[in-house]
Amino acid sequence: MEVLLGITGKDFVLIAASKAAMRGATILKTSDDKTRQLNKHTLTAFSGEAGDTIQFSEYIQANAQLYSMRNETDLSPKALANYVRGELASSLRSRKPYNVNLLLGGVDPITNKPSLFWLDYLAALAPVPYAAHGYAQYYCLSILDKHHQPDISLEEGIKLLVLCTDELKRRMPIDFKGMTVKAVTKDGVQVIPFDDDKIVKSA
Amino acid sequence: MAMFSQNPVLNGPNYSFAEVPRDRVDGLREHRFNPYTDNGGSTLAITGADFAIVAGDTRLTSGYSINTRYAPKVFKIGGTNSNQSDATLLLSVVGYAADGEALKERLDAVCKMYRYRHNKPMSVNACAKRLSTILYQKRFFPYYVHAILAGLDEEGKGAVYSYDPVGSYEREQCRAAGAAASLIMPFLDNQVNFKNQYQPGSGEGHALAEREKAPLPREEVEILVKDAFDSAVERHIEVGDGLQMMIITSSGIEEKLLPLKKD
Amino acid sequence: MDTLVARYSRPAAHQNETFGADQDEDLFNDMAPTLSLKFAMPPVAQPSAWLRAATDDRSNPACPIKIAHGTTTLAFRFQGGIIVATDSRATAGNWIASQTVKKVIEINNCLLGTMAGGAADCQYWLAWLGMQCRLHELRHKRRISVAAASKILANLVYQYKGMGLSMGTMCAGVTKEEGPALYYIDSDGTRLPGNLFCVGSGQTFAYGVLDAEYRYDLTEEEALALGSRSILAATHRDAYSGGFINLYHVKEDGWVKHGFSDTNPIFWKTKLEKGEFTNVTSQFERIER
Repeated sequence: MEVLLGITGKDFVLIAASKAAMRGATILKTSDDKTRQLNKHTLTAFSGEAGDTIQFSEYIQANAQLYSMRNETDLSPKALANYVRGELASSLRSRKPYNVNLLLGGVDPITNKPSLFWLDYLAALAPVPYAAHGYAQYYCLSILDKHHQPDISLEEGIKLLVLCTDELKRRMPIDFKGMTVKAVTKDGVQVIPFDDDKIVKSA
Repeated sequence: MAMFSQNPVLNGPNYSFAEVPRDRVDGLREHRFNPYTDNGGSTLAITGADFAIVAGDTRLTSGYSINTRYAPKVFKIGGTNSNQSDATLLLSVVGYAADGEALKERLDAVCKMYRYRHNKPMSVNACAKRLSTILYQKRFFPYYVHAILAGLDEEGKGAVYSYDPVGSYEREQCRAAGAAASLIMPFLDNQVNFKNQYQPGSGEGHALAEREKAPLPREEVEILVKDAFDSAVERHIEVGDGLQMMIITSSGIEEKLLPLKKD
Repeated sequence: MDTLVARYSRPAAHQNETFGADQDEDLFNDMAPTLSLKFAMPPVAQPSAWLRAATDDRSNPACPIKIAHGTTTLAFRFQGGIIVATDSRATAGNWIASQTVKKVIEINNCLLGTMAGGAADCQYWLAWLGMQCRLHELRHKRRISVAAASKILANLVYQYKGMGLSMGTMCAGVTKEEGPALYYIDSDGTRLPGNLFCVGSGQTFAYGVLDAEYRYDLTEEEALALGSRSILAATHRDAYSGGFINLYHVKEDGWVKHGFSDTNPIFWKTKLEKGEFTNVTSQFERIER
């Protein structure tokens, strides 16, 4: 029931993840951050099996940072996505595979082009203009099919995100406690203030 | 339970269906009740401007055994006598042969009663609706059949109605049913409804104009039917032996029997 | 003696001449009003469990009888009446049984029903509902309200609860007393009035597009476009939906059909002219890794 959303635009990638940390029928925390920054220009959001998610994403994060320190240069989002896919693929064939689904978004430090990657625990990798994981897929992909354009500005991207979260609030049977929203631009990652208290009226 | 699965690759001959619930009520043990089997075979029907053709192969199988090489699946319906010489409708049934026989008998009785009471043959659209209700009467104990009904409508145009086992129905230009439906239907989509056919020279990519829909002449349809069955026989074990073709026109019903491969 | 005479002097038509008693009863049933409530039952202790094993491919993927399923249907109320839209695909397992199913059922000239779930269940019971509505008209000399019609159907399916019926339907109609009225009825026995419903395997995708731009004061043109676009969204993302978009507009003086249009050209038109569906490229490209 976790919500992950990703949207690319003209010069940015928006990554959003629900704030609720759930265990069984209980919400343990309402301000969970399901994202990790891999380097200056790359951010991931993750969902899946409790424990696996943090372990895997922090392992990925540590390796990305190690690469940056050793080489004094950052890997591009595309390179990182393929690295993550490789790790998931070898994990999948191990005794205990990680059960983690991710979105990886970033802006290429050389070309300044934004890109977004969809990865699942079976190590499938797809470059996409917009993406969602979990139940959010069923509600949001059709909205993004209709309203997304490749050259939108950050403001328009946030408006699209509001369109998606409004629909989730309207139709999803559980409260996901709002969204952590972060934008990746050529200047790095910034947290986007997001109105989680908005009440959405159903038709 | 691969033992009795319908997939011939997984297991040997099968005479009945996969899993049947063994219900126990109040400690009573109920013997498993499985009144169905699949007798294979395939049928198809195509309409034209002033005719309809219904065809079926004549093989009747049970698992890997061929029980007979001549068991018709296409029937004349609603004549006044036992040889059905003045029938105006055609019914094809494929699936479980005994249910098919029962369904045919029942629909024929209904049409005969209608003719006796109203002194006119039943129209094809009335009969189509009636067949739907007959099938639905057994909603909770279905006839295991895929039925196709054909005739000429009030304007004299060919009409084909296809059914699912519990009576949902639709008028169509063409329909294949039975074992080789998945082999024949895509061919019919292309050759009868001209699906994925475009006008030559109309452009490229999205500018392509679809080929104009037009009803086919009878000779062409007969060739199409034979080709469809010849192809199905090549690739499906439950289809073969003979091809029974019934052609309904304003001058009555004509029956043709053509040979199919018998291996 | 009199009884003997009476027996042998009845008109021939009333005698059991050619049929056995049970067969005669069968034939009599055949002659009875055709949309009757008499159903044949399998001779087992629990007919519903038997039926599930024979026909429900979700609980028993190897079931011998495949009943057509899978759908996107929607209907919504707006100031100008009700828009009803559906796709036209019928699937049995992975097999596309038909691409030309009429999932909007014309109950009569001012009431529409939609088909999701078992095709035969919806066709039969909505036709039966049409009969009940006509009987209401004859008995009461006025048109039935949508509320009453939907309740007749809900009560009927509730009687058969647990027997294996499968239907999710919407009843749409406009009457003088109610204005535009829309009801959702399913085979569990749920009956809900509402402004907007999407039903079927593609419902969430349709909801996504519909909710985002739905307003009660939509113009007729906007409403028709939104209905059609919502079905298109569902056919794009839900593999069990596809084929044609069937569009209807229900008004007080009856419903109007707005076409049965192929999704493929509409998809490409939407993509190329409006720049939507940016996840699809119009030519095949090697995906860069």
